[in-house]
This record gives sequence, C-alpha cells and structure tokens, in this order.
Amino acid sequence: MEKAKESQSPAAVKEGDYLALRELFRPHVESFDYFLDKGLNEMLESIRPMEIRDPNSNNTLKVTLEKGHVLPPMRDARSSVPLYPQECRQARITYHGEFKVDVCFEFNEQGAHVRHTFNFGHLPIMLMSKLCHLRGADPHKLVFHGEEATEMGGYFICGGMERLIRILILQKRNYPMGLVRGSFLKRGAGYTDKAVVIRCVQSDQSSVTVKLYYLQNGSARLGFWLGGREFLLPVGIVLKALIDTSDREIFTSLMCCYSDKYGRGKGVVSTQLISERAEIILDEVRNLSLLTRTQCLVHIGQYFRSVMEGFEKHDYEAVAEAVLKDYIFVHLENNHDKFNLLIFMLQKLYALVDQTASPDNADSLQYQEALLPGHLITVFLKDRLQDWLRKSKRLILEEAAKSKGFDLSNVLEVRKFLTKYTTSVGRAIESMIKVGKVNSQSGLDLPQRDGMTIHAERLNFHRYISHFRSVHRGAAFAKMRTTSVRKLLPESWGFLCPVHTPDGEPCGLLNHMASSCRISSFYNSEGALKSCEDIKKSLSAELVRVGMNPMLPKIERTGPPEVLHVHLDGCILGTIASANIEKAVNYLRRLKLAHTVPEDLEVGYVPLSLSGAYPGLYLFTNPARFVRPVRNLLTPSDGKQSIELIGPFEQAFMEIRCPDGGDGGRTKSFPATHEEIHPTAILSVVANLTPWSDHNQSPRNMYQCQMAKQTMGFCGQALKFRTDVKAFHLQTPQTPIVRTATYSKYCMDEFPSGTNAIVAVLSYTGYDMEDAMILNKSAVDRGMFRGHIYQTECIDLSTKNREKVPEIFARSALSRDTSTAIDSDGLPRLGEVVMCSMLKEVHPNEQYYSVYNSLTGAVRPVKLKGTEPAFIDYVAVNGANSKGGLQKANIRLRRVRNPIIGDKFSSRHGQKGVCSQLWPDIDMPFSANTGMRPDLIINPHAFPSRMTIAMLLESMAAKAGALHGKFINATPFANSMSIKEEDKDPCEPKSIVEEMGSMLASYGFNYHGTEFLYSGVFGNEMEYAIFIGPVYYQRLRHMVSDKFQVRTTGRIDQITRQPIGGRKHGGGIRFGEMERDALLAHGSSYLLHDRLHSCSDYHIADVCSFCGSLLTATVIKSDAQKKAKHEMLGLPTVRPPKNFVCQACKTSKGMETVAMPYVFRYLAAELAAMNIKLELRLSNKSEWPASQES
Amino acid sequence: MDRPAAGASYQRFPRVRIRELRDDYAKFELRDTDASMANALRRVMIAEVPTVAIDLVEIEVNSSVLNDEFIAHRLGLIPLTSAAAMQMRFSRDCDACDGDGSCEYCSVEFHLAARAESDQTLEVTSNDLRSNDPKVCPVDQARAYQQALSGSDFDPNTGDQRGILIVKLRRGQELRLRAIARKGIGKDHAKWSPAATVTFMYEPDIRINEELMETLTLDEKRSWVESSPTKVFAIDPITEQVRVADAEEYTYDDEVIKKAEAMGKPGLVEINAKEDSFIFTVETTGAITAYELIMNAITVLRQKLDAVRLQDDDGDLGELDAHLGGP
Repeated sequence: MEKAKESQSPAAVKEGDYLALRELFRPHVESFDYFLDKGLNEMLESIRPMEIRDPNSNNTLKVTLEKGHVLPPMRDARSSVPLYPQECRQARITYHGEFKVDVCFEFNEQGAHVRHTFNFGHLPIMLMSKLCHLRGADPHKLVFHGEEATEMGGYFICGGMERLIRILILQKRNYPMGLVRGSFLKRGAGYTDKAVVIRCVQSDQSSVTVKLYYLQNGSARLGFWLGGREFLLPVGIVLKALIDTSDREIFTSLMCCYSDKYGRGKGVVSTQLISERAEIILDEVRNLSLLTRTQCLVHIGQYFRSVMEGFEKHDYEAVAEAVLKDYIFVHLENNHDKFNLLIFMLQKLYALVDQTASPDNADSLQYQEALLPGHLITVFLKDRLQDWLRKSKRLILEEAAKSKGFDLSNVLEVRKFLTKYTTSVGRAIESMIKVGKVNSQSGLDLPQRDGMTIHAERLNFHRYISHFRSVHRGAAFAKMRTTSVRKLLPESWGFLCPVHTPDGEPCGLLNHMASSCRISSFYNSEGALKSCEDIKKSLSAELVRVGMNPMLPKIERTGPPEVLHVHLDGCILGTIASANIEKAVNYLRRLKLAHTVPEDLEVGYVPLSLSGAYPGLYLFTNPARFVRPVRNLLTPSDGKQSIELIGPFEQAFMEIRCPDGGDGGRTKSFPATHEEIHPTAILSVVANLTPWSDHNQSPRNMYQCQMAKQTMGFCGQALKFRTDVKAFHLQTPQTPIVRTATYSKYCMDEFPSGTNAIVAVLSYTGYDMEDAMILNKSAVDRGMFRGHIYQTECIDLSTKNREKVPEIFARSALSRDTSTAIDSDGLPRLGEVVMCSMLKEVHPNEQYYSVYNSLTGAVRPVKLKGTEPAFIDYVAVNGANSKGGLQKANIRLRRVRNPIIGDKFSSRHGQKGVCSQLWPDIDMPFSANTGMRPDLIINPHAFPSRMTIAMLLESMAAKAGALHGKFINATPFANSMSIKEEDKDPCEPKSIVEEMGSMLASYGFNYHGTEFLYSGVFGNEMEYAIFIGPVYYQRLRHMVSDKFQVRTTGRIDQITRQPIGGRKHGGGIRFGEMERDALLAHGSSYLLHDRLHSCSDYHIADVCSFCGSLLTATVIKSDAQKKAKHEMLGLPTVRPPKNFVCQACKTSKGMETVAMPYVFRYLAAELAAMNIKLELRLSNKSEWPASQES
Repeated sequence: MDRPAAGASYQRFPRVRIRELRDDYAKFELRDTDASMANALRRVMIAEVPTVAIDLVEIEVNSSVLNDEFIAHRLGLIPLTSAAAMQMRFSRDCDACDGDGSCEYCSVEFHLAARAESDQTLEVTSNDLRSNDPKVCPVDQARAYQQALSGSDFDPNTGDQRGILIVKLRRGQELRLRAIARKGIGKDHAKWSPAATVTFMYEPDIRINEELMETLTLDEKRSWVESSPTKVFAIDPITEQVRVADAEEYTYDDEVIKKAEAMGKPGLVEINAKEDSFIFTVETTGAITAYELIMNAITVLRQKLDAVRLQDDDGDLGELDAHLGGP
C-alpha cells in the first residue's frame, strides 16, 4: 500500500500534464455535459404539452413532460454496481444510463396534476462526461479500470464500438446573412437570386431557418420550412401580424437608414428606391384587404391550421400566433424584437439588391459555427420525444374511438398506451450513434441525415486525436462539382489548419481545428454554467453606459451611417452613434479581459464601408462558436490578463499582427490591436508535430499529416485490455531526438510512433531507386521497426444459431489430444500458435476453438481464416447473459509483422518509401572513424524536386543532439518569435544550420553533417562525402503481408469457370482489357494465351462439325468391354476415349474437339436459352485455305 | 597453377602491429596488403565468426507484459560467452542429434524461472538465466564470476553488474522458460555477430609544405588548424610551427585543403591515403575477446580460402577458371 501511495504523487503531477490533451477534447465533453446539466430539461420544457380530447365525452387530458433524469451507467437495473467503459468494450455492449422523464397529467384543465415517471430506455453516456464513472479520475484510477492514463473521453461506446459524433459546420446562428444563390430563382415566378437568410436557434438548440427572398417587383417574401414544404409569406403580412402597427410606422422604420443628404458616401446602405419598395410591401397587404393585426393573423391561421399539428381545433388567431412563435425568428420571444429584426433584414436585403452591401460568403468560416455532439443529441431527442407523443396520442384516440368504456381520467389506463413506445426513444438515440443516421421526418434543420458519427480508430494517437479535432463541411458538399467550398479562405486563419486536410476526395471539406482553437460553450473557464439572462442584462447595461440608445418600441429611428445597430445573439438591442462605436468596442474588449462579460464574447464590429459587409455591431455569446486566444495589445500587458478569445466573425475586422516584432505592413493610422501568441497556433496538433515544417515545401507537410495518421506506433498503453478489431503495435518505438514544443505539450511520448534510424543519403546499390529504401538487415534483426498486429474476434454463439439450437464452447469429451491449441473449455490456450488453414499440409494446430451443438452433440472445431499463422494473445469470456455454458468470447490474435521487402516507411516530412532490400550489414557503407553503418539508405533524388529541407535539417540536428545528449527543439516559425528578443541580444539570430553545424564541428564531425564512408563491399573510400545522420522514421500500416496477392491455380467461379477475385479467397487479380491491349501491342501472344486462356477457363469442347453446334454433344457410355480388355492386356489405362454423339445429327462422325474459353460455351448456352442458335464452322487451315473465307 | 598468364607472383607478407588490446577492444595496424584483404577481414569479423546465442525458446509460463516472441527476441540478443564456439558444431551439421538442440555438442540449455512475489517490481535480467554448461553463460555473469574469483568484492546490484534487463515483472507475474543456445554466425542473424564495431581506415599520409606554411601569420595558421573538425594539426607553442598532431584523427573530409585554397595557398598540405596500410578498430560484444575475434576471423578466412583452393586443386573451378584466363 505504501508503494501505491508513493507512486500516486508523480501521477498527480502527470495529471496536470494531460490537461493540455484534455483541452483538445473539451468541445465534445462540454456539450454533452450541458445536455445533462441543463439542456435536457430545457428541451423537455420546450416540448409543447400534448392535449387529447376524447371524442365521446369531450374530456381533455393534457400531458406535459416535466423533468428528465439520466442515471449513470449501471451493470444491472436493480443492483447498483457501476458499469465501466472497459466492460462495455469487452462485452460489446453499450455504455448507457437509464433515461426517465417525469410526466404530468392534467385532466380537464382544472383537474388535479398527476405525475408519473416514464422510463424511456437507455441513453448512451459520453465518456468523461458528468455521468461517466471515470470523470475526474486520476491516472491511477483510470489504469485500474483498464483505460489509458491519458483517457480524454468525448466518445460513446455503442455495442463495444467507440464512436464519436462528428463536428459539422453549420451556418452561424442568429445572424442574417445576405446570400446570392441561383437556386433561389427556382422558388417561383418573380423571385430573384437574392435573399437574406437567418438560422434561428432556440435555447434548446433546435433551429429554424428563415429566408427573406427579394422579388423582382421590389417586394419580399418570408420563407420557412414546415412539414417538408416551404411556405412563403408576403413580408408585409408578417410585419403586421407581429405587432399592432400602422403602415406609417412600417414605412418610417424601413426608411430610417435613408436620407437625401447622404448621396453615395461611405457606409450608406440605402438608396431612394426604398420608399417605393416600402409602398409595394404595404400595397400587397392592402390589396388582400388586411388592415389590422387580427386580420393578418386570421389570414395566416387559415393557411396554416391544416399543417400545424395539434391545432386542428384552435381558432385561426391561435394558430397564427403559434406559427409566429414556432417558425419565425424562434430565437426571439418578444414580437417587438422579431419586428425589429425583420425590418433590419429587409434593409439588409435591399442593400444587397442595390449593391450598397456585399453578399456574405456562406463558405467562409466567418459565418459558420459548429454542430456539437450534445446539441445534436438534444435536438434529436426532442424530435424522438415529440414523435413518441404523437404516436401515443394516435393510439389513445384509436382506443377511445374503439371502446366506449375508455376513460381518459384513468391515468393508469392512459399510461398503458403511453408506455408502448417509450423504449424506442432510447434505442433511436443509440442507433443514431451506432450508424450515424438521423431518422426524423422534419430533417431537424440539419445539413445531412447520415454520417453524423464516426468510429474513433485507435490506429495511432495522431489519428485518434484528429478524429476529435476534425470538422466536416457536410456530406452534401462532397458531391458538388464546384470547388469553391474546398477553398482555403483567409477567414479560417487560426481556427482551421491550412495544412491538415486530406488530399483527394474530402480535400478542403474535412478540416481540422488548429491546436489552440476552442469552441465556446455554456461553461465559463471556471466550469460554471453561464446564465444567458444575466449576460444579456449586464451587457445591455454596459452598452448603455458607452452610449447605446436602447431600442424602444415606437420611436423615430435612424440607421447607418449615422448610427449602427447593436445586435446581441440576433436581437437588436439598440443603436450606437458611429462616432462612438470604436470606443464602445474597445470598452467591451476591456470588459472581456476583466471577465465582467463572458470571456468568449464575440464583438463583431463591422465598420462602415463603401459597399462592403453590412455595418453593425454584432455581439455573440452563444455556444458552438469557434474561438481562439490572441494577445490584446491595448490593455497594459500584465501576463495572463491580456489573452483574449476571439471568434472568426470579429477576426475579419481586427488588426492582429505576427509576434515577430514587425508591423506587418500596417500604417500608423491602423495600428495592430492584437498579436498572435505564437505563429504555430495556426497549425493543428498533427501538423504541429512536423519538425521545422516552415522549411518544407507545403504539400509535403500535408502528406506528412496524412502519413502520421497511418503510422504503426503505440496505439495505446492499455493494449492489453483493448478489443479493437485491428490494432497495430510497434515493438520498439523511440522518442524523436528532434521534436517540436507540441510534442511534449501533448505527451506524445506516451504514444511514440517511430524510430530514430541512421539514414544515409546515397545511391548505393540501385535498390534505392524511385523512393525505394534499403534497410540494414542486422538492424532489423536487432528489432528495428518490428511490430505486431492484434486482431480481436468476438465470437457470439447465441446469435449464430439458426435452428434455435444453442451452441456452446466445448471440446469433445473423448478427445485426449493435447497437440491442438484448443483447451478443455473449447477455447484456445494463451500463447499457442495457430496455423492457417490455407496451407496444403494438414496441421493439427489450425483449429483454435470448438463449438458443441447441444442438440446433436456434435463438436465442430473451427479453423483459422487467412493465410498466416497467429498467436493466441488473449481470451476473454463473457458470461453476463448466457444461461448455460459459454457462448460469448473474445479471442485476440497476434500476428508478427517484422519488416520485409515491400513494407512502407516514411520520415516525418512526407517522404515515404518502400523497403526494397534487407541488405546485409557487412555490405552497407561504413564510416571509418566511428564504424557506423546506416540503418537505412535513401536515394538523393528524393530531395531536389520535393524540397523537404527540414528533413536535412532534422538529420543534422539529430546527429548533433545525439552527440550532445539532448533533445533538439524544432518548433516551426521559432525565428519569427525570437526576433522579438533581438533587442536584448543582438547576436542571437542564427540559422539552424549555423547552430547545428557548429555543434557538430565541436564534436569532430563535418559542419554540414556529411561523412566520408567506405564501401562495405570493396573496402575502398567513396569518392564523395555522404550525408548521414539520424532521422525519425515511421513505419506505415501498409504492409505487403496484408496485401500481396498471388495465384496459380485455385478456386474458380462456378458458372464461368474463370478464376474468382478477392484476396481473401485466394483469388486472382483481373487481367483486363487494357492489360490485354498492352500484351497485344507487345506481340507477346504466348503470354497472352497463357494469361487469358490456359490459366483461366481453358476448356475443350466437343463440337459437331455438321450442324456447328456446341451444345448438342452427348456422351455415350464408353465401352466397358474395351476397358476390361485394356486392363487385361496391361495397356496403359489412359483416359478411355469418350464417345460423343451429336444429339441433333444423331451421329458421332462429325464430332471434333475444339479448345476454347469456357465462357464461350456459356454464351452459347445463354443464347440458346433465348432461342438464338450459335453455329461454329470448323475449318482446318490445311484443308480450307484462308483465301476462300470471305 | 599452370596458368601462363599468372606469371609474376603477387604474394605479399602482411604485417600486423597491435597498438592496444583489451578484452573487448583492439586497435591494430595492418600493413603491406590491400583493401580487399582488410575488408575481407572486417567482413568476416562482423558476419562470420561464430558465437553462441539463444536460438530456441520454449515458454512454459509467461504472464508478463511482453509477449512471447518479444521475450524470445530479447533473449537471443543477450551476448553469451562463446570462447568455445569455434569448437562447437553447427546444429545443422550435428550428427549426435537431429538438430533440435538436445545434445551437448551443438547446444547449451538455459533455464529461467522468475516470479514476482513482492510489491516491488522484479527485474528479470540475464543474471537469472541458468546455464547447464559453465562455459556458456551471459557475458556479465561471466564477468561477475571472474571478479569474484579474483577476490575483488562486488555487489551484484551496482554498476553494470545488474545484468541485461529482459523484462520487468509486477506482483504475481511469472516467467518460466527453457532456452537453447546454438552456434551461429552473424550472417544468419545479427545476434550471432560478436562484433560491436569493426572498422578500418587508410592510414593518412600528411605532408605539410613547410615553405608555404612559413608565409602564413600565426593567426592564419591558427584558423587553418582550427578548420579541421578533428584535431589533426597543432601549433607548436614554442616554435609556432604547424605540425601534425595526430594523423589518424583525419577523416578525409578535405576541410583543411578547402581552407588552404580559400586562403589562397593551394598545396599548403598534401594528404594521401596510404594504399597498403590500415588501422583497424575492433570492439566486441563481449561474447569473445577482441583477440579471439581477430584470431578466429583469420582462421575462418583461411578456411574459406582453403575451400577455394581445394576446389582449384580438383580443377573444378568451372566458369571461374575460364574467367581467370585458364586453359
């Protein structure tokens, strides 16, 4: 016990180290925490109570969802044994907790409230969220429960699979965007391609997008989706329906930002056309003879009563009120606010049409935010619960119609119907996480319906982290032929990594967050929930203090350029005179630093400009925004205080300079107000790990990001407890000598992924051409790049039985055979080698478990699939829900993967290569002084065209570092930081080569890292100095052993008799038309014949030369007498000649044998089935000269 | 040798001068021969001098964190004292057994049994290997034994006496195995290579043009001397003349020649490699002593040449004969 205590203190220190790592996963965990803390109840509150009216008695029952409870995962519903994630992975079950909701019943409005708790099945619980048992656990506890010491959570375990919800890009919430899109024209006649679109998000995270279209006649239509259809309302009706207003008021509101005196100056957004347009809008309403608010409401209600669910019995006005509440600007509660926002949107729309304001780019990160796991679950759960209410209501009404005795007041009776579909709610959430499909009727205003979740692969740590840091643009864009969405835009600077995106199909769509990028949440930095109301109150108070005129109803207003509107989360708070605005913005930023307003408040100040973005002061406090820290230069820099979180919206209008001490070309009139903390903040975690990536050609860094995610390294320390289907493991990894600051920040030493190999750059044997590389055989013998593949098979016999006969693991009781790998329980012994069943020789060890059929008593041993032997690494038995005998087991197999010819390796600079030879140590070149032989030889041609200078630097630096015995810091852009300190120490700036070269020279090595080597074969000195030094090499997961495909004979297709395809079944690789053409062009006809005929479906057919038929030949039984005679005489019993008779000609005289592909015969048969006769005309060249043929 | 073309005899009598000889280190000069001989000797020392190393491992219990193959591989790389390796048989040639390592002529059996009983992490090292042949054991065991014999008291847990770490065991974990060490050569697997480093260099022949050197100032001399990354040259503090301090430090890097050219004094120094003298540096893993390594290498090399000559006597040189311009 003392020992345990002793080791706890270093663990505690370690835990602090992992904080940086945990920070990367925070968006996932925090959003789910909020769902548990508050989001769930808020969502339940927002569900409209269901009212059921009994058609017989006219009694009503109101069903309200009140409070939700999610319980932590338990092993059993009754006992209180906690369920740990590790058990779920092993048993392939889901890490979930019970989900209950209090439901309140109210009979006939004034009746007593009866509360019942309903069980809605189970909700998957995110690891490390507030309900996870591992929350806050120290590394010790984590390791005790079979997790990584660094476990960061952020994912779900569904059926044993680790799945996470992908962060998707959504349109920025509560901000009206001016868009120009061709598709708007299709809305109908008279529509233009211009519209102002706002995605309104309620407090329960559900959203409704409202579009304000511009019509050719100058009017506008308000469109929103309801029940799979877009409804378009004249904007005038909506304006009038929202509040009691007059035409005059609408007119002046619209005209507020126009004045004759402006002309076309800076910041003028409106033109004189606006008065005409306002008249048109008002005329439209008048033409419908809708004059008062009530008339407008009735008009709306008439249209919508049929589509609004649950409002069939309500009057028109109530329906219209509900439409306005549920579909128009749902983020606002007050109709006055809605009115103001609509006026603002109209003004923005007209500015867009008149080109006094530019359209917003929907592809730029400035107008985007993230869809977070917790929010998706909230939205989807709400939809499922509403669906449940709808279904239950239908059930009850059906029942009420059917049976006369049904009484709504009998809660128990009603409850019976309500509980019918409850568990489907939990199951729907689980299956959403499992398959990533969001099945709902309304579409939930989400960009896509499937692909919402991905599997968190633990191939290596880089890949694992990248999953959680990835941001996807949306599946719909992948199919688009335009490339504009994939563009790297300057707006994403510092938020999305410009380097870390895959090349090929998802290029530019699948991005990764920069390492310092965060996502704003409902929690402040202390971890306490933020209160929206308080924030709004304090913010408006502060704004009034700096000169904002609060937006009061009924006031003569002005607009830009005189004053700017102040928006807070899509609500217009008031106006500020444009002269005071800069002061106000600076004041707000100071408040941000002082934490009096939320530290992640986005102060989106869009200044007045000549037909630029529509001006205004847009404040955002909502979650799901991207934010990143920068240093504020305006406040006195007293260390921590000056770090400000900024968002992409405000960033576009801010002056942020590089911390290199320069001004970045800015003039005195526009000084930099902010400064980057470090230039590497623009790179993602993986891109940050490339040493000196600023010295590489940029695509090489992209390739490295790809390859880092494919390396075979340490996938985890808890490998022993893992049940991944496939896991790669490097036996002897090392920590790189040359590393960036990020490497230690994110504890990459816990998951190393390569080896410091001594790399010589020379063209030595010819085996290093075209990116091939030569490995030193002795180095491999000593363990370099050795690895294993772990494969876990989960065998569940309870799901396999088809005839309802239970099968269990057991060995035959009679068998005393100890030579097999199967132990007495029917499962393999640990450490045993299992041979593959594909080998020709029968080996006793090819079976690895045996199954006992409890009905027939038959024992069926099961052979190992595949072509290579495997070791039994681990066997786990799951007996949780088996009644008799073992039915479920995990068997982990281990396969050795030592480097062989054809395996793929890469350095950290996008320089990949394939091992072409394992070259004997004695034949490798050697250094005369040190006796060093390289581990690896690469060709010098790998450098000139690829320009990976950093790899050369790494080699030099690693050599110097190895000699000096210290790690070399290779953080990119380090020199643009150090220049700042230049004032203190002028002799400091030194190039990396200078620094490393002098270090090497001080140890007696060449300044440039070269050495004179001797040929290992001849023993003479080589003419030129060779560049040699340690470079961190990664082994990639692509290995020949998993890929090679070779075949001479083997299985054939039943119908065509051609070889089958597929490596798994020992099939061949298709030799297709183009390959055939190549051989034809070469004139290598024998090879062609061999490939396409002899090795394929060679067939000798009997053809009747009279009728030319291929199919009429029938066999006559060979003469038995003749055969006997042959045997008696001792004549060679070759194949007795078969006699064929043409069935059509009734003779065997014309039978000839012809060699042909079997498919040809198949074709003849197919044609015959269609009543087409295929006739062959046999000829013999000697008898039938070619000239006679036509 | 009835080839007329092979008229003159090229036979030479190489000389060896040993400069330094320790158990695991040797430095010697090889003169009056050429690079092919020197390199052949190097190659044989690395790859063809036989040693004994663990080759077959039978694992009885392994509940450690490392898997069986990993432990077997680690065991194989432990250097074993192989002074007797030259006399042992290759198990493929052994007629006393069928090559499975069950006889004393070709194999040595080892046993290892370790189980961690206490809370302290147990380090299983090469010291835990028990050999059935006292001549063959892990090298650090042998060293400890010799030290004990010579009377110097030693603590098995200090310094490099701890042995080579195989695996660490936690409480309750156990490792029990039987291993068979066999004779082999480094060509087959690096674990049988007795050489840690074998390298040679041409002896440099450095001639300073004294006349030209005298035209340099002291500062120039100093900067020229310092231009060599290794300390080849030095300045005599009294006479202020440049002299060759240690010619063998020279790595043929041409830095001084480039420097001289840069200073506008080409031909300041002339450096040539002596084509017929080599300086060897030999380090062993400890499996055999450096002396044994060199001697065994010469024996092996001679055996190989014998094999060629015997073939030659039979007149069975085949194509090679024709290639050499034979009858």
